[in-house]
Amino acid sequence: MLAIENLKKQFGQNVAVDDVSLSIGTGEMVGIIGRSGAGKSTLLRCINQLSEPTSGQIAWHGRRVTGLRGRSLRNWQRQCGMIFQQFNLVPRLDVITNVLMGRLSYRNTILSLMKVFAQEERAMAIMTLERVEMAAHALQRADTLSGGQQQRVAIARALVQEPSVLLADEPIASLDPRNARKVMEILRSINMEDGITVLCNLHTLDTARRYCDRIIGMAAGKIVYDGLSHELDLKSLQKIYGAEDQPFDEKITSTSIPQGDDTACPLTHVG
Amino acid sequence: MSLRKEAARAEHMAGLKAAYPRAFGLSLSQKIRLTAIWAAFFTVLFFSLDYLGVGFTRIWNGLDRMGIIAGGLFPPRSGGAFPELMGALMESVAMAFLGTLMASLVAMVLCFSGARNILPARILRFSFRRSFDFLRGVDSLVWALVYVRAVGLGPLAGVLAIATSDVGTLSKLYAEAIESADKKQIDAIRAGGGNRLEVIRFGIIPQILPVMLTNALYMFESNTRSATILGIVGAGGIGFQLSDRIRAHRWDEVSFIIIMIVGAVFVIDMISRFLRAKLIHAGKRQVL
Ligand SMILES: Nc1ncnc2c1ncn2[C@@H]1O[C@H](COP(=O)(O)OP(=O)(O)OP(=O)(O)O)[C@@H](O)[C@H]1O
Ligand SMILES: [Mg+2]
Repeated sequence: MLAIENLKKQFGQNVAVDDVSLSIGTGEMVGIIGRSGAGKSTLLRCINQLSEPTSGQIAWHGRRVTGLRGRSLRNWQRQCGMIFQQFNLVPRLDVITNVLMGRLSYRNTILSLMKVFAQEERAMAIMTLERVEMAAHALQRADTLSGGQQQRVAIARALVQEPSVLLADEPIASLDPRNARKVMEILRSINMEDGITVLCNLHTLDTARRYCDRIIGMAAGKIVYDGLSHELDLKSLQKIYGAEDQPFDEKITSTSIPQGDDTACPLTHVG
Repeated sequence: MSLRKEAARAEHMAGLKAAYPRAFGLSLSQKIRLTAIWAAFFTVLFFSLDYLGVGFTRIWNGLDRMGIIAGGLFPPRSGGAFPELMGALMESVAMAFLGTLMASLVAMVLCFSGARNILPARILRFSFRRSFDFLRGVDSLVWALVYVRAVGLGPLAGVLAIATSDVGTLSKLYAEAIESADKKQIDAIRAGGGNRLEVIRFGIIPQILPVMLTNALYMFESNTRSATILGIVGAGGIGFQLSDRIRAHRWDEVSFIIIMIVGAVFVIDMISRFLRAKLIHAGKRQVL
């Protein structure tokens, strides 16, 4: 269980995450929604400890992860895979080396620096790439891939970390609908089949509704909604997205992720 | 055109001028500033000409001798020393190569200490940065004079001189490349539990490697030129031969040597362009 208590992150005068307390059960798939600047990315970065919170605590299965240093910090980060909107691959390295980056914290630094990876680890990387249907591109340089392909490589990189939590920061915001659906389905299957807890920042309500069991709404750094996705009603949406005086139209937060089989989808995208 | 229309147009113009004064030529204060800048420029120009004794008569008289020298340059002749000259030229190229190689290797390590995102400690970083500035602020010619005293006449002094001054330049350039490195990939390595060294190795080095290679190759080119000059102060190579011929007024051989140098620089330029294309773009293959 991931327990967050009174988490606060401040940048100068700007409070990005304001007194957030949350408890997320093992194996849940949670969508975090909110307007731009609501603090969604900052929250995820604090959980991974990529950014240090100003105050508050985070614990995983009762063990504190805030304030860790050195080896124990990196052990937590390895348990807590991260997926970014811009994929954040190393463009000049090939796909398999990028995936192997997820193994760094398991390995001897000197060997890693010389790019010596064990045969078993390479096999593991290839198998994971197969799972996201990218094994055929293993030796291609990352900057030659399309966005959707890069995101799948990034997911493979997070998976070889053998994480217990996966944090995805708007994983589909720069993808076309078809690739977006593919990525969301992979995330969902990781959650269902591997029992990995998934926290996913999303910009589109319909995606959040479809793939997540639970939705957390953030506004101005605070949590303003926390409940089951099918219970999310217009009033809560107004709190999350709308200014009070403006009527909220759900359509503006939705994209058209193609439903059903591909032939029903009028858009044909180059993958 | 009616008078009314004309008046309306004038009023419109006046309104525009009030709203966008900058768009209608310079203001009075700008004109004064411009005049002052030109006045200052001419004052400095005439003062420098007078102070350095640059005068038309001297240039005119000099032209006469320049003509004689220019005539002597043609046709270029090796003076029967071609093998010797070739050897000296190779010595200069080798000097440039070794010097640049030493400088790049040292700079590849030192540069990290000058980058904000690697060494946040301000005072320490500043002292590293200032020492880079010192090394490159002193010309390699001066370093050559120092090293000739220290290690004696010959190419070793030249190699050390080139290396010393380029360590400063390359470290500074590399440090700046590190500071402007893309943060996204660094974040990803950190988020996955990579330690400091691994962040540098996989988050930074792949990004700055092209900068390192391009600059090292460029330095090699430019050092081939510097190496010929270093010879003149006793650091060996083709420069020594050149100054020797100039002193003896053997202008035909001087022009021969100059042509050799230009040819060598040209060849190195071609090789380095080829290597850059191969190594850096590498047909989108992974390099390191
Ligand atoms: N490194 C930083 N330095 C200063 N301010 C920051 C930094 N990172 C985030 N912020 C600020 O914190 C607030 C929350 O940002 P955050 O990126 O978490 O929002 P978000 O909900 O992810 O928005 P989006 O949906 O646009 O990604 C913003 O006001 C932002 O300007
Ligand atoms: Mg964000």
